[in-house]
Amino acid sequence: MFKNNLKIALRNILKNKVFSLINIIGLSIGLSAAFVIGAIIYYDMTFDKFHSDSKRIYRITTAFLSPEGDFYNAGVTVPLAGALSDLNMPELETVAPFFTAYPLRVENKKLDFSFKNPEFVIYADDDYFRTLDYIWLAGTQKEALSAPNTVVLSEARAQIYFPDQELTSLIGKTLIYNDTIPALVTGIVANFTQRTDLVFEEFLSLKTADVQDMTSAVVDAHWHNTNSASQLFVKLTPNASKIEVQKVLDGISKEHEAKERVAIGRSNSFYMQPLSDLHFDSNYNTFDFDDQRASLLVLRNLGLVALFLLLLGCINFINLNTAQASQRAKEIGIRKTLGSSKKQLIFQFLGETLLLTMAAGALSLVLANGLLGIFSDYIPAGIDLSLYYDALPILGIVTLLLIVTLLSGFYPALILSGYKPISVLKNEGVKANQRAGLRKYLTVFQFSIAQIFIIATLLVGKQLHYIMKKDMGFKTDAIAYFYTPWSDPAPEKKERFIAKLEALPMITEVTLGGNPPASFSTHSMGVLFQQGDQEVNSDLQLIYGDADYFNIYGLQLLAGRLPLNDTIREYVVNQTYLKQLGIENPESIIGKTFKADDENHPIVGVMQDFHQRSLKTKIEPMAFTGDTNGSRRSQFRVVSFKLATEHSSQWPETIAQIESIWKGIYPASDFEHRFMDDTIERFYAQERKVSVLLRWATGLVILISCLGLLGLVMYTTQRRIKEIGIRKVVGASLLQLNMLLCKEFLMVVGVAFLIAIPIAWWGMYNWLQGFAFKTNMSWWVFVGSGLAMLVIALIIISIRTIAAARVNPVKSLRSE
Amino acid sequence: MLLELNNIFKWVNSGGQRIFLLKDINLQVEEGEFISIMGPSGSGKSTLLNVIGMLDGFDEGEYNFLDESVHTLKEKHRANLYKEYIGFVFQSYHLLDELTVQENLEMPLLYKKYKGAERKAMVADMLDRFNIVGKKDLFPAQLSGGQQQLVGVARALIASPKLILADEPTGNLNSQQSAEIMELFKKLNQEDGVTIIQVTHSEKNAAYGSRILKLLDGRKV
Ligand SMILES: Nc1ncnc2c1ncn2[C@@H]1O[C@H](COP(=O)(O)OP(=O)(O)O)[C@@H](O)[C@H]1O
Ligand SMILES: [Mg+2]
Repeated sequence: MFKNNLKIALRNILKNKVFSLINIIGLSIGLSAAFVIGAIIYYDMTFDKFHSDSKRIYRITTAFLSPEGDFYNAGVTVPLAGALSDLNMPELETVAPFFTAYPLRVENKKLDFSFKNPEFVIYADDDYFRTLDYIWLAGTQKEALSAPNTVVLSEARAQIYFPDQELTSLIGKTLIYNDTIPALVTGIVANFTQRTDLVFEEFLSLKTADVQDMTSAVVDAHWHNTNSASQLFVKLTPNASKIEVQKVLDGISKEHEAKERVAIGRSNSFYMQPLSDLHFDSNYNTFDFDDQRASLLVLRNLGLVALFLLLLGCINFINLNTAQASQRAKEIGIRKTLGSSKKQLIFQFLGETLLLTMAAGALSLVLANGLLGIFSDYIPAGIDLSLYYDALPILGIVTLLLIVTLLSGFYPALILSGYKPISVLKNEGVKANQRAGLRKYLTVFQFSIAQIFIIATLLVGKQLHYIMKKDMGFKTDAIAYFYTPWSDPAPEKKERFIAKLEALPMITEVTLGGNPPASFSTHSMGVLFQQGDQEVNSDLQLIYGDADYFNIYGLQLLAGRLPLNDTIREYVVNQTYLKQLGIENPESIIGKTFKADDENHPIVGVMQDFHQRSLKTKIEPMAFTGDTNGSRRSQFRVVSFKLATEHSSQWPETIAQIESIWKGIYPASDFEHRFMDDTIERFYAQERKVSVLLRWATGLVILISCLGLLGLVMYTTQRRIKEIGIRKVVGASLLQLNMLLCKEFLMVVGVAFLIAIPIAWWGMYNWLQGFAFKTNMSWWVFVGSGLAMLVIALIIISIRTIAAARVNPVKSLRSE
Repeated sequence: MLLELNNIFKWVNSGGQRIFLLKDINLQVEEGEFISIMGPSGSGKSTLLNVIGMLDGFDEGEYNFLDESVHTLKEKHRANLYKEYIGFVFQSYHLLDELTVQENLEMPLLYKKYKGAERKAMVADMLDRFNIVGKKDLFPAQLSGGQQQLVGVARALIASPKLILADEPTGNLNSQQSAEIMELFKKLNQEDGVTIIQVTHSEKNAAYGSRILKLLDGRKV
């Protein structure tokens, strides 16, 4: 039976090549999207699932709650770990604090090797290894990190520091960190082989930091400071209640809260982040900053796109198969008289659908590979189709194929198997227009989705254009900047650099200052402004620079003057701050002071507002000030320069010159510059990704829908070929015939448009709420996208209808 | 007794009017009979045959087939009944275009759950008996009308039904081909004891049968 049905199925598929192809292509687009997105989801869902006791391991993090919004820090205040251990809670099996560190250099003196900026180094103690299970390749976990100046290495790191040496022979060898800190190797652990966010390679004993701290986080231990370098993991005892631990944590944070902060509505609380949430919780960082982490929201949206594409493919299938049902009516009738039951027929047709779905599945594996290539910028590097060589994903694929088969095949199978043999055998034929209603609804659904996608793509593009072209309020054109190295703050070197830059012909302006006016990093301080008996607390953002800085970025002074020199702190505030204080006239604030850290700071000027970050956020209160922290902690570490606009072709050469100057002054560090315009573009990296993905999705949605439309049109014209012939004989023109044939399809597209408008409007309205500055949702975007859809549909339809209308009527009428 | 129709009525409602397709039909068929149904076009011959074949229902009356009362049976039971005992032969052959002769013959066996080897043997036997071994791998479109009908009859016979229902089996055939099919029916009836009910317009074909049933406007005359 199976073989027989397979044969029939194959012959049927081959007989209707075009329809089969439309079905397969439509389904495979949806399936390949699903495969890619499934791979991403599977990849992201399988982080840190392999640790023994992973269900009992939590990271403690900190949430800062304030009226202006909540902030999150993946670290905790340093004394918390000690406080928790001292309680000796029965719920806690381990309390494992550790600190991320960034050594500048590690040396293996024996081999005279030196390694710059090793990554993934932490200070930890034995509790770390009691919390997380590592395989020990040399040494033992017991007391590996109990003594100061000891280090445990990962296998990978050990092989770098001690090339070609037996791992067990490394125990007792010495490494020197930052020239002065010796560390004895006490153990080698295997790197985790499965996906993990715990990417550490070197574990220095925590006691080492008590004496020589590279991070300054360890010794900086008081309750009012939270540094994300200070991490805390705990492992609960089996069956311990998480709620109990949370209660204790709440108690501790309450006990140590600062009254001043509570007074202005701020508080912090500790949060127990399950190990399995590490990878997804976008509130809290993980440890590899280069890693593109998934956000659940993005995954959800991608999933939705895949779902839509799949649904549209299924709809094509349903439409084409019910439309063609009458062609198979005879077969059904015969089979029934020969003894086939309805159930057997349903299975037969589902089997055919499965066959097509599997063909689509095979094709989509190829397409998915292509998609992964195209979107490699958007997809974490570890993802490829080899992820599918595993039981669970394979099961996932099989399930998906079965679901798609049922979704697209069940309804047509039901219709087909429902034919009464008697009506077929009587040669009445099956009324061809049966189920035309349903097909119309489904097609309307398809085109509504396509229409919504088109509108969304246009509006997202329009908004992106708007925010990227909108005046930031300061100059960005031809301006670039670079950071001088943290490790080398010597002011003479900076001065020397500036002098050399000024000598370059293509550089028109140079200045040493802080971060550019708009950047990813923010400095801020809490300030208090007193006016009579009224007090205003604000969070004031800070930028640092001098008059040159002010000029190069074209900032506008509205009142007062710039800060005079570097020895006294003077501030130029922006208009938004004035607004917050309720002051209208800029002149009237000159000479007043605000209070920060119990010191009074004079306000000497007012500057015009500009955008400090992306246009997603509002303009915040801000102040401009000089460099008053002294050379060691100087904020003046950014060199901004302006290139001659009329010679942009020579810029690369100039940049190369700057780099060679850099090599002369900072040979130990790498040169990295950035144009201001690029920085601003980077504010919208997320949105630009959305825009690109949306364009692709829209293209595919249109493609699938139009394929389906083409199929339906082909079917309809085929069926009406005789009618067309008769009409032609009695004198209908080509255009009239074409209109006649197009009409019903264009109606469908029109209805879809009407349905799409409110949905698209609502969706885009909500999306735009994420921006403080929004483009208009102009009517022409909607009308334009509707017209575009109509034209596309008309072209698709006309391909067939014109061909049909041109057929010589003698030919079409002779047949039968 | 193979089957028995008692006071069968069948009608359709059209424009508030009841139009009778079958009116008070009574018929008894013994095993081994060869009955020809005749009557002008539109007189209800096919309708009657379909009722007997359980492909179509009726509105009033009783129908017993091998002591089962068909009118009270569930659809599924009825299907099982005709699947087991009845073979159909159609005027327009109704072979499946996508299947070869051999595969067409095999199909009824598939629905009756015969084993593979058994099916092969039965199909080979039929091909042999009907002298169409050489055509077994051809598709219906590659055969003449007479050959197609031969396959149709072979397919109806393959599962050894008790009753063959043939609706104008020779309607599309020339007189020589017609005679061949009729001879075949006669042989089946006389040598194998298969009961046959055929619809025909030709007196000559009707004469092959043992009994003639005449219909006019849905009534026996
Ligand atoms: N479902 C139906 N609805 C209305 N009329 C029908 C239906 N089935 C058959 N008829 C009519 O009943 C009459 C008998 O049909 P049929 O049995 O096919 O006649 P025959 O086979 O004798 O030519 C015809 O007039 C036909 O039009
Ligand atoms: Mg008839």
